[in-house]
Amino acid sequence: MATNKVVGAVLVAGGGVAGMQAALDLANAGYYVYMVEKSLAIGGRMSQLDKTFPTNDCSMCIISPKLVEVGRHINVELLTLTDILSIDGTEGNFQVKVRKNPRFIDMSKCIACGECTKKCPVKVDNDYNENLDKRKAIYVQYAQAVPLKYGIDAEKCMFLTKGKCGSCKKVCPADAVDYDQKAEEAVLNVGAVILAPGFTPYNPREMETYRYADDPSVMTALEFERLLGATGPTMGHVARMSDHKEPKSIAFLQCVGSRDINRSDNGYCSSVCCMYAIKEAIIAKEHSKEPLDVTIFYMDIRSFGKDFEKYYEKAKKAGIRFVRSRIHTVEPLKDGGVRMHYVTDHGQSQSEEFDMAVLSHGLVITGETKDMSHKFGLKTDKYNFAQTSSFAPVAMSRPGIYACGVFTGPKDIPSSVMEASAAAAAASSKLAPARGTLTKTVEVPAPMDVNGEPPRIGVFICHCGINIAGTIDVPKVVEFAKSLPFVEYATNTIFACSQDSQEKIVSLIKEYRLNRIVVSACSPRTHEPLFQETLAAAGLNKYLFEMANIRNHDSWVHSNNPAEATRKAMDMTEMAVAKAALLNPLTENVIDVDPTALVIGGGVAGLNTALTLSTQGFKSVVVEKSDKTGGLANRLLSTAKDESIPEYLAALQKKVAEDPNITVVLNSQVDKVDGYVGNFETTLTTGESVKHGVTIIATGAQEYKPTEYLYGQNPKVVTHLELDEKMKAKDEAVDEAGTFVFVQCVGSREPERMYCSKVCCTHTVHSAVTLKKKNPNAKIFVLYRDMRTYAQKEDIYKEARDLGVIFIRYELDSKPKVTESGDVLNVEVHDPVSGRNLLINPDFLVLAAAIVSGRENELGMKYKVPLDDDGWFFEAHQKLRPVDFATDGMFMAGLAHYPKPMDEVVAQAQAAAARAVTILTQPRMTVGGIVAEINQAKCSGCGVCVAVCPYSAIEFDEKGKAKVNEAMCKGCGTCAASCRSDAPILRGFTNAGLFAQIAAAL
Amino acid sequence: MSDFEPKIVAFFCNWCTYGAADLAGVSRLDYPPNFRVVRLPCTGRLNPKYILEAFKRGADGVWVSGCHPGDCHYIAGNYHARRKFVLLHHMLETLGVEPGRLHFSWISSAEAIKFQEVARDVVEKVRACGPNESFRKAELGLAEVA
Amino acid sequence: MMSLEDLIKKIQEAAKRALKEGKAEVVLGYQAGTTPMAVAPLFARTEGDCDKLVWSNFAKTNLSTYLPELKDKKVAIIAKGCDARSAVGQVVEHQIPRENVYVIGVPCTGMVDLEALKSKEARPVAASDEDMATIKLRGDGWETNIAKEEILRRNCKTCICRTPKMADEVIGDEVPSMTPDDYADLKELAAKSPEEKMAYFKGMVKDCLRCYACRNACPLCYCPVCFVDETRPQWLGKSQDEMDTFVFHLLRGFHCAGRCTGCGACEAACPVGIKVREFNRIMEEEVQKDWNYIPGLDWEQKPPLTTYRPDDEADFIR
Repeated sequence: MATNKVVGAVLVAGGGVAGMQAALDLANAGYYVYMVEKSLAIGGRMSQLDKTFPTNDCSMCIISPKLVEVGRHINVELLTLTDILSIDGTEGNFQVKVRKNPRFIDMSKCIACGECTKKCPVKVDNDYNENLDKRKAIYVQYAQAVPLKYGIDAEKCMFLTKGKCGSCKKVCPADAVDYDQKAEEAVLNVGAVILAPGFTPYNPREMETYRYADDPSVMTALEFERLLGATGPTMGHVARMSDHKEPKSIAFLQCVGSRDINRSDNGYCSSVCCMYAIKEAIIAKEHSKEPLDVTIFYMDIRSFGKDFEKYYEKAKKAGIRFVRSRIHTVEPLKDGGVRMHYVTDHGQSQSEEFDMAVLSHGLVITGETKDMSHKFGLKTDKYNFAQTSSFAPVAMSRPGIYACGVFTGPKDIPSSVMEASAAAAAASSKLAPARGTLTKTVEVPAPMDVNGEPPRIGVFICHCGINIAGTIDVPKVVEFAKSLPFVEYATNTIFACSQDSQEKIVSLIKEYRLNRIVVSACSPRTHEPLFQETLAAAGLNKYLFEMANIRNHDSWVHSNNPAEATRKAMDMTEMAVAKAALLNPLTENVIDVDPTALVIGGGVAGLNTALTLSTQGFKSVVVEKSDKTGGLANRLLSTAKDESIPEYLAALQKKVAEDPNITVVLNSQVDKVDGYVGNFETTLTTGESVKHGVTIIATGAQEYKPTEYLYGQNPKVVTHLELDEKMKAKDEAVDEAGTFVFVQCVGSREPERMYCSKVCCTHTVHSAVTLKKKNPNAKIFVLYRDMRTYAQKEDIYKEARDLGVIFIRYELDSKPKVTESGDVLNVEVHDPVSGRNLLINPDFLVLAAAIVSGRENELGMKYKVPLDDDGWFFEAHQKLRPVDFATDGMFMAGLAHYPKPMDEVVAQAQAAAARAVTILTQPRMTVGGIVAEINQAKCSGCGVCVAVCPYSAIEFDEKGKAKVNEAMCKGCGTCAASCRSDAPILRGFTNAGLFAQIAAAL
Repeated sequence: MSDFEPKIVAFFCNWCTYGAADLAGVSRLDYPPNFRVVRLPCTGRLNPKYILEAFKRGADGVWVSGCHPGDCHYIAGNYHARRKFVLLHHMLETLGVEPGRLHFSWISSAEAIKFQEVARDVVEKVRACGPNESFRKAELGLAEVA
Repeated sequence: MMSLEDLIKKIQEAAKRALKEGKAEVVLGYQAGTTPMAVAPLFARTEGDCDKLVWSNFAKTNLSTYLPELKDKKVAIIAKGCDARSAVGQVVEHQIPRENVYVIGVPCTGMVDLEALKSKEARPVAASDEDMATIKLRGDGWETNIAKEEILRRNCKTCICRTPKMADEVIGDEVPSMTPDDYADLKELAAKSPEEKMAYFKGMVKDCLRCYACRNACPLCYCPVCFVDETRPQWLGKSQDEMDTFVFHLLRGFHCAGRCTGCGACEAACPVGIKVREFNRIMEEEVQKDWNYIPGLDWEQKPPLTTYRPDDEADFIR
């Protein structure tokens, strides 16, 4: 078994959002993926969230398409209820032993009708709802779960534990229950392993003074999240669990099990809690019928991500109260409320009553993950997070094993997604020779030509066991269907989705020369792809298909009215037939893809992107506007982990120089752009023209040039980067200096720049620690607003305090005052603890100057990609597509997207490469299907469609008429609805088809 | 009037409200059977003509529902749709279409309960308006009978 | 105020200048009509042609309607505020290239409503004369003077663009704008019952011949195939069915939303006197209220249905 051959498959452990992203990127890049998930279904923690910050997107809505994509991907093999037992072998060729635990359900038979759950007598705490309500012993994790198959909780099932009951087996209409299933072991041969085991919320049970264990009015934030969720135990109504009363006041306690080594051993910051608390506060206020007061008790508000600061400001405006304090005790009250005892920022003891309290728990690595790291020989830090370097942020200590998501440190969804793509790139970096060797493709016969034939429609009405037939008179619907125009054949089927029914449909298509198929059954959202595959297998264009959802939208919701339900099923079938008669076969075309990337910007992000692409054998042209590569990193001293940046950069530049796949063009910028995904042609200002399939924008950012604090007037006032440069040059003045003052948020978090620059707090504490270590006698003061040393960086903050660095907080309306008298620099600052003004005479005043965008609007216009108000490039989706632009074939990396530290820059660069590879790896790209086209005879060239297209997929041609680029169109149809003369046609959803449906509905 | 059962045409986007209706089914949340759903990829696809067509053909009510602003699967389809809805809603109200006949909602795929509530309310409001006499075409031309 | 003669002279000078300086190959303006109380469009290509240019209180035709046909030529247009606004709309909607249109703006004190004039003086008119403020009519043995103020077209009474400031040049003295339309009638209507509203509008269009003169006169109705002519699928019946007619006017109004500049050409063109602009006004009020948008004032503006704001309000959506 064990050979040295490189294997073109990767095992991804963990089916949360990070694992899913890694799996999809790999599978779309030509690698076979085993996705191992220990629970019944993928989705992870994100599936439990109601909304996501800072956009308040519905979490389930945005994750659901991703679940489906993973579930249906031909090159992702989903192994649920599976544990990893051992990992043998080495990078390129691992043997991973897994145990597949029994589900006690035959997945090929289960139709997820839920009859079993209805009959199951065993009630169990519902972990999906954080145990706030009950589920049954036979269950699906949640309604949208993938795979949507039931499973039996073996520890709770009466039959499996006591041999009694068996009612699920009796009622199952599909005969899917199988109590005899046994655990099976298997060895998977893979080239690399990605671990994305996620986190568990910190359990505050041990913190006795918070009374979580015994007072139901105190709940965790994840529990509260489930309360807010429409599918939660209260269906989104905010209620106190003790008496189900709607609270009028709620207190959030931040940093529960984070930034706390006294009670929890978790010295790190959990990075997400400030934001999720603000989110839950906003949503709770929206959900409350009565006015709701929300107070957030916090130490520092850490709204450091893109658009987070604006979200925080919005919350303040919405009336959410923020109290900087330390809560020491939660006291239960007789009326069900709680009294919070806390110490304010000024050292005063206070107490206040609330109707309920929410503990913003930290993110914790599970004991299981800890054991796994130990067992597989993987180094972790003291908090059990994966140990990685800033320059290889997803590589674990054992070559070939990679980590992403919260396993490398607490982080939010977009950062997890970025790291997941990075892990996909890193994991496949040594596997390129085996790319495409293990992946499968679907072979379908060439579709028969039905153009010009009159419609011959086949209609299949599904019983879905008793799910449909129990309410709807299926034979009556079949008879009715037979009477409809163009219907050649109509029949009923017990389970339309079963293997034998599929085969029957294929043979009937052939026998009756059916050229349109209608299935009246369940939801096209879950089953349309299955039937479309069946059509394709029968040699029929898969778009000649229409579904009527007579289960979810009919029998399941009108079971009390069979007559009306039957009439509705007839109407729905008629609507589907009417539309089907007008369907046309849709072609999918292939376009050639130029397997080269254009990387704009030669900083650390751009170079890493190019190098990562090179590992997959793809060429890059890196355009750099200055006379050298390296960007801002040229001015940096070291990372927060104290790794030398000059050494790293030199090695990086050498690697790039030696890489035959990479061409660097210095002193050059983008002049002119033509083309689209797969086929861009960019002309540079230096004259050369580059043909490329994808574009990566990595144009970086700049340090703000302060106009305040005597910067530029007094030589003792320097910025972060200037101090770094002095330290790199071993400037004596720095070595000899006795007093340093750092001022944070210079130019950040102010009305004209309402964002946090993310890197400055860490930079300051790291510089302070470096200076202190060099000269323990140096006096160092840090003047700050909120310290934002997120994740494990909190340790450096603590180290700085331990080394004697003094931190003094200031408010935006009482900024430090800096004056000079002769040689002496005077810094005056108000100290909120003593209530007095302090005067400091530093040798250096270091300004944590904001990171400002390059405002590359022109570049954005050339590639038709947007920038936000602050000048950062705007991603396709803030949560799930953090390196993609909405326009296909366009990606971003590094500070052009938003300020971020070295490790996140490298991760995003690798991620951009991974995303780019999913396009470059296809020699030809399939386009078409449900996309728009323009009937140019009707086009006036008014440009409405061009303006409304969210994907910039429509352009004017040389005649001034609109033209759709099929490679970029996603089929939303906004163009078709906006045109006054109906020139755009959305294939599959034509006016004719929709009018026919409307007519049939009435 | 009590035995009047209104006919309602509903236009749902595939990604959110159609999903909410699916979830309502999974959750067995019952609601009146009076509407027929036309599935669209996005509310952005909803040509205002379809609403007029439904009324012209005698629908007693129309219900349009899609993703919440910001949740659009196609980034901005529902934002563009919303502007059209604002105008069409105002036009029809001004011209004398009873406010209870035309309904718009944002229902995410997780909001089965909201779906049920709105579905019930839409049917009741349309029922209260009575049959659509004023905005239906008396005689459909041959060409239009499809 | 400048006299009509002086204004005409200035127009002719400006037209000649535009031709001479190469700003235009054609100047689009008005020439005297062949009947009283009328002017006709003139396409002036030579200096001699320019001497035929006139100005009149009867210059109701919106000349920008001709611009799309001439889009490949450099055209100067003698434009009142509403014509200029329509030209802006045509540029914004890519019907004419900005560089091919040169707007010679003429401050305008309003045009005569022929119906109103008729109600003041119904006798057959043999000849007419005019100055800036007065219409002089002569018939068989009679003569009368009518103050223009009293017989202004409806849209002129609420004109917000009497001086087209966005024009490339403005000739003549600036004229202050009128008090904008307050839509008082629509507000009053809003309080009525649905039945009354429906009856009102159905009554308004009951005489419609479906001749589409309103559409043809509109400078912004330029679709190669109008929805009324759509056949596959045929959506709107072509007969004078009450509902089809009603829906025609409804959708025509909708299609003008955020685009109509209130020039009144549609109403002026209607052979049976339907106040077709009412449908446009419904949209006009809403577009202003919701998005603070007034069409045709700015060459760079984005029509409201080509853009959006994430925080657009729509309270009726639950």
